[in-house]
Amino acid sequence: MIWIHPLSPETEEPPDVLGGKGHGLVVLRRLGLPVPPGFVIGTGACLAFLRDGRFPDGLGAELATAVSGLEAATRRRLGAPERPLAVSVRSGGSVSMPGMMNTVLNVGLTSEATAGLAAETGDVRFALDSRLRFLSGFASAVAGVPPESLDAAARAVAGHGPGDDEARLAETIAGVEALIRERTGGPVPDDAARQLELAVGAVFSSWDTPRARTYRTLHGIPHDLGTAVTVQAMVFGNRDGRSGTGVAFSRDPNTGESVPYGDVLFGRQGEDVVSGRSATLPLGELAGREPAVWARLLDALERIEGHCRDACQVEFTFEAGELWLLQVRPGGLAGRAAVRVAVDLADEGVISRREALLRVSPRHLRYARTPRIETAGTLDVLTRGLGACPGVAAGRLATTADRAVRMAADGPVILVRPQTSPLDMHGLAAAAGVVTARGGPASHAAVVARAMGKPAVVGAADLTVDDAAASVRAGGRVFPEGTLVTVDGTGGEVVVGSPRVVTAPTDPHLHRLLEWADQVSGGVPGAGPERDDAERLRAAHAASGAH
Amino acid sequence: MLRSPHSTSDDLLVLHALRCIGFAALSRLAEATGLSESDTESELIDLAVAGLVTRDSGGFGDFGGWGLSEAGRAADAERIRDELDTAGARTAVTRAYDDFLVLNPELLDICTAWQLRSAGGVMTANDHTDPVYDSRVLERLADLHRRADAVCAGLSAALLRFQRYRIRLATALARAEAGAVEYVTDDFESYHTVWFQLHEDLLATLGIPRN
Repeated sequence: MIWIHPLSPETEEPPDVLGGKGHGLVVLRRLGLPVPPGFVIGTGACLAFLRDGRFPDGLGAELATAVSGLEAATRRRLGAPERPLAVSVRSGGSVSMPGMMNTVLNVGLTSEATAGLAAETGDVRFALDSRLRFLSGFASAVAGVPPESLDAAARAVAGHGPGDDEARLAETIAGVEALIRERTGGPVPDDAARQLELAVGAVFSSWDTPRARTYRTLHGIPHDLGTAVTVQAMVFGNRDGRSGTGVAFSRDPNTGESVPYGDVLFGRQGEDVVSGRSATLPLGELAGREPAVWARLLDALERIEGHCRDACQVEFTFEAGELWLLQVRPGGLAGRAAVRVAVDLADEGVISRREALLRVSPRHLRYARTPRIETAGTLDVLTRGLGACPGVAAGRLATTADRAVRMAADGPVILVRPQTSPLDMHGLAAAAGVVTARGGPASHAAVVARAMGKPAVVGAADLTVDDAAASVRAGGRVFPEGTLVTVDGTGGEVVVGSPRVVTAPTDPHLHRLLEWADQVSGGVPGAGPERDDAERLRAAHAASGAH
Repeated sequence: MLRSPHSTSDDLLVLHALRCIGFAALSRLAEATGLSESDTESELIDLAVAGLVTRDSGGFGDFGGWGLSEAGRAADAERIRDELDTAGARTAVTRAYDDFLVLNPELLDICTAWQLRSAGGVMTANDHTDPVYDSRVLERLADLHRRADAVCAGLSAALLRFQRYRIRLATALARAEAGAVEYVTDDFESYHTVWFQLHEDLLATLGIPRN
């Protein structure tokens, strides 16, 4: 094969061919960890496709061969009415571009295969849910239907009661099919092999959307790398109550503490966690509900850390109590957490002190000086979201912009909204901090909060704002307007009351790292009024021959 | 046959501007509508007499001034819907909204890159001391603006009031390019602020709820 490489321990192609995701999966296979069977279409095929506007010669035949191999390995057939095989089709270049490129899940679920899946599992709801996920991904990636239209299609049938899951799913499916027909002038192809080709082509094309080009220019990523496409047998996190999906860090990314951290969602597929649209549970919930999955996950994190000699994060899915890993990445820890991990790894003897120093950049130190909520004690966490504007702010909770303005006359206010519109601007201006239930770090609310310099948490998915009742609901609790809350715009915590706030100089790990820095550079600790932390680190880097 | 774009009456222009930008002082409303301050004020007084707008002396900082009453909000929704149908503009505006939704995430990426710089996995505030980086971001904004302007041109051909966004967005870009860094995300007439209002306007015009 020229274009396609198996996800096997023997595959030796580097990340610039397999993409970071594909390469990471090969590493996981080498470590003996559970990865769904599949293959990677290399970045070369993407570049040829973008140059010529069609699959390069031989790719079609290789794809057919690779699918046959996957069918043999899983004893299933793509699109078959009995024991159907469904696959995930994921993008992944050698440099991560989060959220820029396409992914289509459950490819191969034609109407016939969906019926087959329902018959095989005896679960019509699950089969329809999977078909809907395929159609939504297809609509977005292949037909270019904007997410807002897909949301509207889902809302249009929201009138059913809780027992009407199947009717609701069937109606939503019809709505999404109509959107695709409207956009493309034709129906969704009911031929599984054709679905796969279109999905692969759409992932290739997503490398070159104007938005992706802009992202690369902004972040200094070359335009000629292309994306790989990872095709794997689906594992269904939406299969049943003993299934789910999540993200796990080997160490807490907020503090760097050596405890597993992350989110889990029962009964869902991976996109639900990554998109931040669903309220997730803390990773630790797995320990009680699926102890075998939990144990295997901890073992996997330990093995990966041993291999990388650094903190790491994985995306995982479990189906009917069985764990599968879908992606591995470096920990991506920043600021104080990066400092703590470097110091701990040196103490554990995993890396040398010199290497620990090199792993922390002066930028991390600057970032580490941002005030944070002290997470060591017991916190009464109201909700969590994504930090969108660093800093800590405390104040009385307000649920509308008008009330935020009125309440601000008597002291600081935290404005909590489902999302923001221009009509909330006066409330944002009056508030000390902002929380929204929806949106990401690049949303209108986030941009406005940063423009005004207000600590902000966005995408707190389990938060419901009831402005008529002047209260918010989260985690099964109700908080009336006026409740004192504190937001941490770095870690994304929203906490009841006013917890202790820490800044870097009190951090014992930073203290130790800087002592090591002085030892390496020959600097004198404590000399002078307060030598700049970054200066001390830079001196150690210079002494170690780093630039 | 080419139809000339529908022209909105001054009173609806002012009412609808309040619907899209929220509480605002007279100067901001004049900027949003393209009317003179005295004409804007005269319309506001008539709208206040009709109970559609209120003057709030206790507003917050620069937001003090005018706001919409509940009746004003309802009246605006009805009149804007009628205008859309009278002008036969629903198809054109719907298409433009779809195109807008493709551009919106890219604009938000650009604004985010303007505010935060990512290096070595760490996001730090962009302090605007690196002219090479800033000009790279502004080039992407200019490139997006060319595509956005085409969308706004299509809108303006159906409803003339959207022409105002073309002018305001182009002005914000030109000011930012001339070195006024606050015209990307920070100022009341910054590119993002105007864009955010355009987003709200499209939702309001098509009667799409934000939630």
